[in-house]
Amino acid sequence: MIESIILWILAICLSPFYAAVILKVKAFFGGKKGPPLLIHYFTLIKLMQKGSVYSNSTTFIFKMGPIASLSAALMALLFLPIAGRSPVLSFNGDVIFVLYVLGLGRFFTIAAAMDTASPFEGMGAAREAFFPIICEATMFMILILFFQLTGELTFAAYFTGIQTSGLWRVAGAPMLFVVMAFFIILLTENSRVPVDDPATHLELTMIHEVMVLDHSGPDFGLIELGAFIKLLFYSTFVARLICPIHAAHPFVNFVIFCAALSGVYVAIGVTESVMARFRMDRVSHFVLTSFALAFFATVITLEFVK
Amino acid sequence: MIHPVDILLILVLLSVLFAFASSRLPVLIRILAFQGVVVSIVPFFLEHEMTAGGIIFTTATLTIRGIIIPWSFYSMIKKMGIKREVETIVSYNASVFASLLLIVAAPMLSHKFNMISFSGGTLITSTAITLVVAGMFLLMARRNAIAMVLGYIMMENGIYLIGTALSSGAQHIVEFGILLDVLAGVMIMAIMLQSIKQKYDNLDTAQLSKLKE
Repeated sequence: MIESIILWILAICLSPFYAAVILKVKAFFGGKKGPPLLIHYFTLIKLMQKGSVYSNSTTFIFKMGPIASLSAALMALLFLPIAGRSPVLSFNGDVIFVLYVLGLGRFFTIAAAMDTASPFEGMGAAREAFFPIICEATMFMILILFFQLTGELTFAAYFTGIQTSGLWRVAGAPMLFVVMAFFIILLTENSRVPVDDPATHLELTMIHEVMVLDHSGPDFGLIELGAFIKLLFYSTFVARLICPIHAAHPFVNFVIFCAALSGVYVAIGVTESVMARFRMDRVSHFVLTSFALAFFATVITLEFVK
Repeated sequence: MIHPVDILLILVLLSVLFAFASSRLPVLIRILAFQGVVVSIVPFFLEHEMTAGGIIFTTATLTIRGIIIPWSFYSMIKKMGIKREVETIVSYNASVFASLLLIVAAPMLSHKFNMISFSGGTLITSTAITLVVAGMFLLMARRNAIAMVLGYIMMENGIYLIGTALSSGAQHIVEFGILLDVLAGVMIMAIMLQSIKQKYDNLDTAQLSKLKE
């Protein structure tokens, strides 16, 4: 229990660091030095020290948005088996609970964006609401597959200890498609490059960034931290799936996990460096591919695992 | 554990999925080349002992299916300066959906067939059915003539898979005969495509309805 809580706090503390790894990789591809690896900590500290400006037209929902989205991310992280150890909280069916807690966080971000009555933010909100719908279909397809393989509905049953390598042993090659589908979900849910460009300067093409334009100071800091944690949340899935090694010693285990996690973040960075953002009407096509892959993996597995 | 043939067949099914989703001709040709290569190396994993003749015929199949046919299409696109986008009748998202339905339906169908019990994966019949129907779908749902020919080749890949599953060694001659037929068909199609292109300046088959006696 103590170990799980320590891991939970460590994960929160490490999430801004890992997000900076992406920037470093992108800078490397651009032939630049890039910002320091601790850049996001500096940004967060700077934002926390600032004051907030609220528009006269906004209501309490606007102030609630950042807090709700951050607490949803923290809550989701509680159920996540970090480094293959058991999570802080776990009950039967928590996978569905966690997905909808994240959905709640998204709802409040969207509500806050709509509250500003800015046309840009409404547009971003519409996109933010649309793409995760397809992601949800993919997630549930993957959950159906995992349920088929393990017969359980908890994250702990999929990602702790030797369970993950068990998934690979039973399902084999179709798990590769699950990893790919998860990676596409990761890119979509966290507004990374082929879907959304976090570094663009044009509001018309943004999804996530445009929704938080009106937030300032500490509020914006909370949103940023929430985004880092959410990114870590999804990256942990992929990291555990590509590196299902389970070492006996907790510390060795954690180091292996951190290495796998860096691999995932570097992969995100490479994707962002070599790809351009998709045209908006192609994005749904891209996300739908993840659903097709997950569905495909499920059907194939049903053929084998009887 | 999964049989090695099944891994190959999963790759084939995946190539069907990507073929339905791809909107560009060069990508489609590359996918078909990959599919051809994978389909033709299936016999190596299926049979325990291959005769020298079997090995020669399988290698020849591999060369024709994986290299010669895709390469001829590639050079045709380059030489004639064909537009790279494929015009569709059924949209790409709907096509992906159709391919998923197909991948679900094919195993059910293959259980009904209950054809033979051969030493191999459980997936081979259903993959073959998927390939045949998917090829038919590409023929119907794309308006570009090259994409239609590629659909025809996909169908032929499916027929080859069924042939490999049914036959045990001696059927290579027949398979090879079919393959030469396909090769001849592709060559004739190439000439036809060239004349369509010269006449109408694109490969949209809808234009052909304008032909009068």
